[in-house]
Amino acid sequence: MSNVDLQELFNQRLGRYQAAIAMEPLDRMPVACGSNYFAEVYSGNTNQQTIYDPAKWLEAEMAFIRDFPEVDVLRNSRIYAPMFDAVNCLTYRLPGRDLPARTQFQFVEQEYMKADEYDQLIENPTLFLINTWLPRIMGELATPGSARATMALIKAGMTQMQMGEIMRTRGIRLQNECGMPQPMAGFFLAPFDAIADAMRGLTATMMDMYRQPEKLKQACDALVDEMVNLALSTGDPFRRYPIFVPTHKPMFLSPEQFDEFYWPSFKAVLQKLHQAGYAVRAYLEGDWGQHWKHLLELPKGSVLCDIDSQGDIFKALDELGHHQCLAGGVADSVLILGTPREMREQVKRLCEAAGKDKRLLINGGCNIPYDTKPENYRAMLDAIMEFGQYDSSLKPTPKPEGIVPFQSAPARKVLTSWETRKAEWGGVQGDEALIREPWERFEAMAYAFIWQWVL
Amino acid sequence: MSDIANALRDLKEDEVKKLVDRRLAAGEPPVSLLAELNQGMVAVGELFSEKKYFISQLIFSAEILKNVMAKLEPLLQAGPQTESKGKVVIGTVKGDIHDIGKNIVAALLKGAGFEVIDLGVDVPGEKFIQAVRDSGAKVLGMSALLNFTYPEMKTVVESLAAAGLRDKVKVMIGGAPCNEQVRAFTGADYYAPDAVAGVNICQEIYA
Repeated sequence: MSNVDLQELFNQRLGRYQAAIAMEPLDRMPVACGSNYFAEVYSGNTNQQTIYDPAKWLEAEMAFIRDFPEVDVLRNSRIYAPMFDAVNCLTYRLPGRDLPARTQFQFVEQEYMKADEYDQLIENPTLFLINTWLPRIMGELATPGSARATMALIKAGMTQMQMGEIMRTRGIRLQNECGMPQPMAGFFLAPFDAIADAMRGLTATMMDMYRQPEKLKQACDALVDEMVNLALSTGDPFRRYPIFVPTHKPMFLSPEQFDEFYWPSFKAVLQKLHQAGYAVRAYLEGDWGQHWKHLLELPKGSVLCDIDSQGDIFKALDELGHHQCLAGGVADSVLILGTPREMREQVKRLCEAAGKDKRLLINGGCNIPYDTKPENYRAMLDAIMEFGQYDSSLKPTPKPEGIVPFQSAPARKVLTSWETRKAEWGGVQGDEALIREPWERFEAMAYAFIWQWVL
Repeated sequence: MSDIANALRDLKEDEVKKLVDRRLAAGEPPVSLLAELNQGMVAVGELFSEKKYFISQLIFSAEILKNVMAKLEPLLQAGPQTESKGKVVIGTVKGDIHDIGKNIVAALLKGAGFEVIDLGVDVPGEKFIQAVRDSGAKVLGMSALLNFTYPEMKTVVESLAAAGLRDKVKVMIGGAPCNEQVRAFTGADYYAPDAVAGVNICQEIYA
């Protein structure tokens, strides 16, 4: 295919995906999974190679795109394991390192923040992370100020830059050589999840809801601007793609607990990202059936919601499908153990339930599993092409100004402001802007670097 | 139901502690308190089945119970032994290190009076087989969060047969990626859609 054709293909795919998110008319249903694990290992590479060897990973996905050209988006951002090694990040077990090379990476939840430390977190979240939390989740930082800790941070910064370069190059190659856009760029967590996943852990957070509810709520509020900042720091500067948020703990909460502890701060983050011109792709993990009505409070077409296999996709279409684009509908077990005929029937049912007015991206529950049978995936695409046709006269094109209209975005956060730095120097002699811009840029990058570890 | 059972059902942590302390000080045998706590846990499970309680409340009830049991257990061991409802071997299958679901089921089983042999996470097939053989448990519960575990669960069921234990034990599976299709594939006897369903299955097997 010529470069012009590939650009055209890229635009069609991106336009189709953006139109679905915005609940607008479509030529056909997009094939737009967020986490396509199946693609990451499609060429037979190991999970270890995906996170340690960017060339092998790209090879796998290019082979995947060749065999499944109907796919409209493919994920670009995964972890780059050498960065995790540099600091010895304790919150993950990695394939090839702590797990067999063909296993997926797994999160390790512990009580990394103690029950009596809420005041410190609330008072200054970033300082709490730097001084208390990072040394607990990074083995190499166990003795802050030691030679190993200093080396680890230097290496971490270097690997971070390299990871950015790898992801950028991948994105450009997938765009130029395959015409392939991405399902999302950038990430954040709901404030409650940031605390419950990586700081307190599930059980301790459940206890906090009963034993110190006010502290927990204050901490969630204190994290709103931090999560907005993390999302805007990592999101696509052109606002072509939604920002990704996996949600982990709502499945454990009663509706009352969700309303009291989870939703207010999460909603505040979502609203601020909307004002900044971004859509969000939210994985509603587990069963959100008691909670998803709240997504009606946000502007139509602003949050693409992935419905997990434990949720009822048909109920979600009924209750939410007229307001937000949904993804999901195929159980892991159908992809892994099912048959092409079973797949075709399920896709047909889903297309009929979505009809012409609702926007559904047929997908596994928040992912396409590693062990998906290729013939089942093929059957899924064939059935989407058969039953998911809408209006062939439409020609999808990307939105020029990002997914939702831009209103305002806050300035990026820093630890040491330019004013402080300049005052300590007693002013500067030459062109201040030349010094200030990179100072603030690197400060903001380092700031985002610290917060990314909550994921 | 007694005041202790009610307080536990209503998740009143301080009240449960206070009542247990008071009744112990009054010289009541710990065995009878244990029976009341079991009633409270059963009531929590019922509220969950009625969708009035959610998983957070199961976790909190288990935590309240755990703290009270830390006090009761030494006293119970000193006194006359009570008969357990039966033994259950439980664990998260090989390759998967997630334990939230497995821990909730184990806690509820203990709360309901079962003896739980908890093998932890990332449990190799041989360890499941060995535990079933050694304990004579009539139930083996396998938990999983990740969907690559389907073949592993099937292998364990097949190994039970190879070890001549298949007709002596019922196999139950549960966890996010499980459903009836997965149960059929693995050859397990039961699929538990949630923790309380898992406890009910064990009650049924030991009835």
